[in-house]
Amino acid sequence: MRSSSVGWLFLAPTLLILFVFGVLPFLYVLVIGFTQWNSFAADPEMRFTGADNFRRLVFDDQFLYSLWLTLKFAFFAVVSEIVLGYFLAQAFMRDFPGKGFFRTIHTLPLVIAPIAVGATWRLLTVPGLGPLPYYLNRWFGYEFNISRYIDQAFFTTVVMDVWHWTPLVTLTLLAALSSLPKEPFEQAQIDGANRFQIFWHITLPLLKPAILATVFIRMMDALRTVDEVWMLTGGGPGAATRYIGLHIWRVVFPKTDYGYGSAMSLITLYLTIVLCWMLYAGLVARRDLKRAD
Amino acid sequence: MYHFKGLIASAFATALLSSTTPALADFWSDAAKGLEGTTIRGISESTPPSNYAKDVLGPAFTKATGIKVEFEATSWDQMYDKAIKDMEANTGIYDFVYIEQDIIYSYLARNFLVDITADLNESPNLKSPTFDISKFTSFVDNFKNDKGNLFGVPMEAFIKVYLYRKDLFNDPKVKEAYKAKYGADLAPAKDHKEYRQIAEFFTEWGKSSGGELWGTTVQAASGHPASVYEVVESVFPTYGIYNWGIDAKTYGASVANGGRLNSPEAKAALAWWIGNLAYAPPESTSSTWDEIAATFAAGRAAQGLVYGENAAWIATDDKKSTVVGKVGVALPPVEPGVIEQATSGQGYIGYYDGGAFGIPHSSKNKKAALLWLQYIGQESVQADWALAGSRITHNATYDDPKVKEQDKKVDGYYTLMREKGPLFRGAPPFPFHNQVREAIAPFIYQAITGELKPDEALDKAAAAADAELKNLGYRK
Repeated sequence: MRSSSVGWLFLAPTLLILFVFGVLPFLYVLVIGFTQWNSFAADPEMRFTGADNFRRLVFDDQFLYSLWLTLKFAFFAVVSEIVLGYFLAQAFMRDFPGKGFFRTIHTLPLVIAPIAVGATWRLLTVPGLGPLPYYLNRWFGYEFNISRYIDQAFFTTVVMDVWHWTPLVTLTLLAALSSLPKEPFEQAQIDGANRFQIFWHITLPLLKPAILATVFIRMMDALRTVDEVWMLTGGGPGAATRYIGLHIWRVVFPKTDYGYGSAMSLITLYLTIVLCWMLYAGLVARRDLKRAD
Repeated sequence: MYHFKGLIASAFATALLSSTTPALADFWSDAAKGLEGTTIRGISESTPPSNYAKDVLGPAFTKATGIKVEFEATSWDQMYDKAIKDMEANTGIYDFVYIEQDIIYSYLARNFLVDITADLNESPNLKSPTFDISKFTSFVDNFKNDKGNLFGVPMEAFIKVYLYRKDLFNDPKVKEAYKAKYGADLAPAKDHKEYRQIAEFFTEWGKSSGGELWGTTVQAASGHPASVYEVVESVFPTYGIYNWGIDAKTYGASVANGGRLNSPEAKAALAWWIGNLAYAPPESTSSTWDEIAATFAAGRAAQGLVYGENAAWIATDDKKSTVVGKVGVALPPVEPGVIEQATSGQGYIGYYDGGAFGIPHSSKNKKAALLWLQYIGQESVQADWALAGSRITHNATYDDPKVKEQDKKVDGYYTLMREKGPLFRGAPPFPFHNQVREAIAPFIYQAITGELKPDEALDKAAAAADAELKNLGYRK
């Protein structure tokens, strides 16, 4: 009993912080999500409107488009980061000249604030003046203008995210690769397995927990991306990079539509949880099910 | 005898000066007694006039009063976000905020701001003898309520003018080539057709001469409200579409609801503006008001609609501009009949922009902020401020020798503003400014990228504006 009280005492500060900065704001957003509240409306007071906001969301083309765009962005960004991160981690498992230097350089994007990453990429890509459009045009005659062409803008945001976050994936997978037991690999080599068979039947299954954790972290991050993209494209051109976080920001801040914006936030949170659960169920629970069989 | 009279007059003048000057000079320190050491915090958009207030007027005020001024000059978006959140939450972080002319109605509707007139009447000891509202231009009226009480002290005012490259327009070779091609004399455009023709001509001229020159600037940032503003505040009026195309009585935006946002004239205006992109530098689709000025200053465009706050530095600052001495200023091109409507007061031809500093109700240092606002509103500080930011808020500033001198270098921008200013107008008095802008913005952006045709974009924008106004409760 005594030890239990001491345990709770130690936990108390963390729980308090979690409650004040996590649970309370969530409850606040939950309540506001069921109200109509725009401080610049004819009636600026908060009014309870039941599930009206949620009903509106179902028919809101812009919200649904932003949601679809965010999923597309998350898919391309996370898959690219995992694949690239794995190959880089494998590369760092071997020795090559300048490995230490390259590893440091490669990790640098991680320590840069997202807003600075966005600013850097903006300077690189600003039409007419940035080095990237300039040299692409000069060397290849390719017109690169992320403020005019929607596909270019979308893929530039993906590339920027990959540039920023692949080092995290690399480091995680590098740690996982370093900790893998040697025996299964040696045994497979003795049995005459080729490189692909070793990768598919040994490396990948052993790395699965690390990959899964990384995918979860990166997917949740990608689904709530705001600052980098806000800096680079502002959500444009048109709505090409108006990901859900940016869309909610526009509804809540410039439009001051707090009720509707809160409802969007709640739905987005719910979808993120569902998506993660589906991923977990697909990759982990299925394996457990097989084992049970 | 004459000599004696002169002596008497001199003595009288000296006595008068010696008795009044200390009184005026001491007003600030007297009024600030007990407030020394106080720090007032303000937020504004980072523009030449704001930076002058931050770098020059703030320190001078501190020297005169002992009140420190912490001035946050940030981006336009951040400035609004921070100021509105502070005033809504009543946190009192800011003691003075920038109020652009177009947002004052929203702030007044929410009762965010201190009534400066009433507060000064209640505290006569804080009323500066050198602060006189009657000395301001009529722009100050934007910051008064129905009773004539003041809620913001104007710190900048300018018109969005048509800038053109005078050197190119006067170049005999260019003129000859233009005449040969179009059979007309090259001169600043009077209407949209001429403007397009000139844009097309200079774009081709730039290509053939191998230089980085295009026919026009276009403030067409495809993910930033600056593009919406250029359409509704600068281009629409030149086609006779006023108040953003929204009916000021019924708050209807679409033609079906009494508005003109998707009227044939509005569609023609948007189509013309989008069409100009073909003759604009590649950075145009990422250009806000700042980048437009930078594009023109870099000599990359032959003409364009540019905010007047940038006119002076573009024309005179050779550290930042490559077109010093080459800038011409004119009225924007308009459709037939628009000038007549503007002259008769039934319309306007462009945007009369500007802003003021106001005190939020949430401020914790209202008295110190009241002194600061009066300090920046004095006539004595206006001329140098005008030179730094090509902004004029006092009638007398136009006649200041320094301003007159600069006027010559800016091709008569100040004279144009003084004489033709009444043809321009600020944003309509809508309390839902940001909300409607955000509702229509996505469709303007999509028109820029070509995802929507101008007609479709405005039909959708009008429907979205109608829906938003209904949702906000303004349109029944």
